[in-house]
Amino acid sequence: MSNTLSRRDFLKLSGLGAAVSAVLTGCGPMARYIVRKPYTSMPEYNQTGLSTYYASTCRECPAGCGIIVRTKEGRAITIEGNPQHPVNRGRLCSRGVTAQQGLYNPDRIRGPVFQARGDAGRAKAITWDEALNVVQQALASSPDQIAFLLGAAPDHLFDLVSEMTATLGAPAPVRYNALTTFEGRTTLLEAARLTFGEETLPYFDLANADVTFAFGANFLENWLSPVAYTRAYGEFRQGRPTRRGYLVVFEARQSLTAGNADEWIPIRPGSEAILAAVFNRLVAEARGKPVSPAFSTVTVSAAAAASGVSEEKIRQLAQLFAAASHPLAIPGGSALAQADGLMTARSLLYLNAVVENLGQPGGVFLTPAQVAATDFAAVKELVRRMTDSKVKVLFIHGVNPLFELPGALGFGEALAKVPLVISFASFPDETALASDYILPDHTPLESFGYQRVLAGSDRPAYSSFQPVVVPLYDTRATADVLLAAVKQLGMAAAQAFPYKDEVEYIQQKLLPLIEAGGFYTAPEIFTFWSRWLQYGGWWKPQAELSAPRQAVPPEEAFPFTPPVELEEGKQFYLITFPNHFGDGSGANRPWLQELPDWMTTVTWNSWVEIHPKTAEELGLHDDDVVRISTPFGFVEASVYRYPAIRPDTIAIPFGQGHTALGRWAEGRGCNPAQVLPTTTNAAGDLTFGSVVATILPTGKRRPLARVESKEGIYGEH
Amino acid sequence: MAEQKAPQKWGLVVDLDRCTGCNACIAACSMENNIPFVGEDEVAYGRGLYWLYNKREWRGEYPEIKPAFEPVMCQQCGNAPCEPVCPVFASVHSEEEQINLAVYNRCVGTRYCANNCPYHARQFNYFDYELPEPMNSYLNPDVTVRRRGVMEKCTFCVQRIVRGRQKAAAEGREVEDGEIQPACVQACPAGALVFGDVSNPESKASQMARNQRRYQLLEELGTLPRVTYLKGGGRYGG
Repeated sequence: MSNTLSRRDFLKLSGLGAAVSAVLTGCGPMARYIVRKPYTSMPEYNQTGLSTYYASTCRECPAGCGIIVRTKEGRAITIEGNPQHPVNRGRLCSRGVTAQQGLYNPDRIRGPVFQARGDAGRAKAITWDEALNVVQQALASSPDQIAFLLGAAPDHLFDLVSEMTATLGAPAPVRYNALTTFEGRTTLLEAARLTFGEETLPYFDLANADVTFAFGANFLENWLSPVAYTRAYGEFRQGRPTRRGYLVVFEARQSLTAGNADEWIPIRPGSEAILAAVFNRLVAEARGKPVSPAFSTVTVSAAAAASGVSEEKIRQLAQLFAAASHPLAIPGGSALAQADGLMTARSLLYLNAVVENLGQPGGVFLTPAQVAATDFAAVKELVRRMTDSKVKVLFIHGVNPLFELPGALGFGEALAKVPLVISFASFPDETALASDYILPDHTPLESFGYQRVLAGSDRPAYSSFQPVVVPLYDTRATADVLLAAVKQLGMAAAQAFPYKDEVEYIQQKLLPLIEAGGFYTAPEIFTFWSRWLQYGGWWKPQAELSAPRQAVPPEEAFPFTPPVELEEGKQFYLITFPNHFGDGSGANRPWLQELPDWMTTVTWNSWVEIHPKTAEELGLHDDDVVRISTPFGFVEASVYRYPAIRPDTIAIPFGQGHTALGRWAEGRGCNPAQVLPTTTNAAGDLTFGSVVATILPTGKRRPLARVESKEGIYGEH
Repeated sequence: MAEQKAPQKWGLVVDLDRCTGCNACIAACSMENNIPFVGEDEVAYGRGLYWLYNKREWRGEYPEIKPAFEPVMCQQCGNAPCEPVCPVFASVHSEEEQINLAVYNRCVGTRYCANNCPYHARQFNYFDYELPEPMNSYLNPDVTVRRRGVMEKCTFCVQRIVRGRQKAAAEGREVEDGEIQPACVQACPAGALVFGDVSNPESKASQMARNQRRYQLLEELGTLPRVTYLKGGGRYGG
């Protein structure tokens, strides 16, 4: 932090006083410049014995929930939901409330280091001036050889880097986050573009629906905006005096969402598309609508044969859906991670049009936010460029590709071919340790920024970040580092980015919002800025979602890919699913490790879910360590006999198996990314949904710390 | 402090039809109440310190199987089995909040109370669990940090009740319904947990508790729990 205080800043700071409310403050502990005051007038963030609350945004996943952080004597104490925020309305998930364990994590990187790719002998701490020179020289290299790999959050950094690469003539930044792959986000976007004519994420009004079909969309756990959807789920169940929503979930392994459903239909992985198509046909027939040609040739018997669901059941469910007054079909997750995933998504989106719920309560709307897509295909292309030695400088921020990407993609080998890798990681994750330099960014609770709310809000919304504590260590905002480096590059580049620092850049990006009709406005940016921080963002005062203007079904008959045939008893479908560790970055939060898994109650480890009948046939018991092999690699994990999974399917949770990331994450469990394929569906999303695996007992045993045994405290243990 | 008319009877209602089993309540509770994490081995020994645990029970047979979730915290019994067995009055009933409190600095660790609690709601600190620097920075100064040999449990976030009551008193008004929320209630994304004054028939918690879906855990023991559950899986009138 600089200790200069210009006249303009002084006026700005003193002007803020008027706008500051009693509870939420717009002026933070890092109001950019130090203000010295006598003890009798303590800074508001340090009033002994009194709490100060700051509104900010949770960055544990990209959904953008509003948080209010209670601080005391300059320490972040508890994280609570922001009651006014349109995404979460004061609610939070387990990841959000434990975010302090990231901020105060003892394994954080405390200053810029020359890492020398993990070569401990050459590693040394450097100063920020040296770091800036490194970045400046890196940016001065031939533009087509520069690459940026960014995470799904924060958006302001993505915007800044996008503008920078455009100015420098470098390729646009690539964004990736494992959660977006598990969500099937790219497939959903592409399906929305083809069906509704607009490339934007649909908003599914679960709260007002009565019969809901969900294909693989695990919206109670991780999908798009889990807190917003869980909130809607509560209303779906008990929010209306006379109606209780009825949820049917189709997936091979019972997720938490399916566990809460009224009916869980364990279909065979890979049969989602034909099942979605046959529902289209049956529902259209039941409602007396013309059946579009793509679905008219699909027979119930073919769908039943592919999915393993009886014809009678399929007809009964179609009848239920067709007869409902507010039916809703939600495609997502593992259902889209199949060869025919795009067809599944299109069929299900169109199914909503067949029952005429577009733009209706309990139906499908389009969200207004622009999507800066995160795309697996783009990552694949980047890896190809790296392997071909076409990338000389790689900047990585907010993503841990060595952990999150399928091992078979060969990111590690590709990384070795990049002469200069600069990581902005706050934690010593796998990728940071394999970089040349780590120039640590502030952690989210120490940062400024914004995130565009994509999917969880019923209105246009920007969510704001502000520091709730003074940065603990010698870290620096990545946007500041890049801006300073660009400034050093010389006239042309510097002119394109005249901003003094990150905050000025964000303020400039907020200018259009002043006149955009939000629930507050201000005559100029500085007052607007203080309200922006005070409220935790900007959004419209009323719900504002558009209905899709059109709905186009898939045109011609579709050659459905049949589900992969298995050698019975030898081969199994392998499902990888994210749990409360999200993209794996949650594994260094000890309370998330200690938190029991929803379904299995296992803590601190990985497991493989096997149906008890299958386990018996294979002679496996709980806690037996088995080796799961696919054509792409193998992992080892303890068996958990899981009664709610197809007997021909096994499942491993994602998020554990770190080889780095600090004391609580390291050396725990296995990383199923090592057994994932690299194939993509028609929309470019990873097809992780029907990997075929084999199980090999290792003869070892490793007991899992399950909380469910507490129930049997006088029996089992 | 302004005179209270009658002590509020704080109660919690858990709507199991809304509850998804997401465990946000456990995480929020742990961060608010300075609950230490104990690590894999200790959890495996059944020594995890969950003031609130989610009882997950498999119901049915494949394929018609699903988990039933039931978050269980201290039931704040009106007739609490843990109280009469404590030799040092560490487990006492508070006049003011009408809840069952744990007085940590009285506790000598006999564990009689845990043995007598039918709900497994009491947790024992078998060891000291140090938070490495600087992780101790997030410790909530309103809640005592317990040490080895001390029994602990859910207090309905009594520090939040006191704070809310003092705030209302300072502003010269009554505590409003919904103003005071324990950490679990505040976090619950599905709105399954509702907290309030159950002596006031108009409070949201009282209204919800008058439901045909209502039941209490081990009602037949006569412990008079202050936590009411609403059965999930459908409507039963009310």
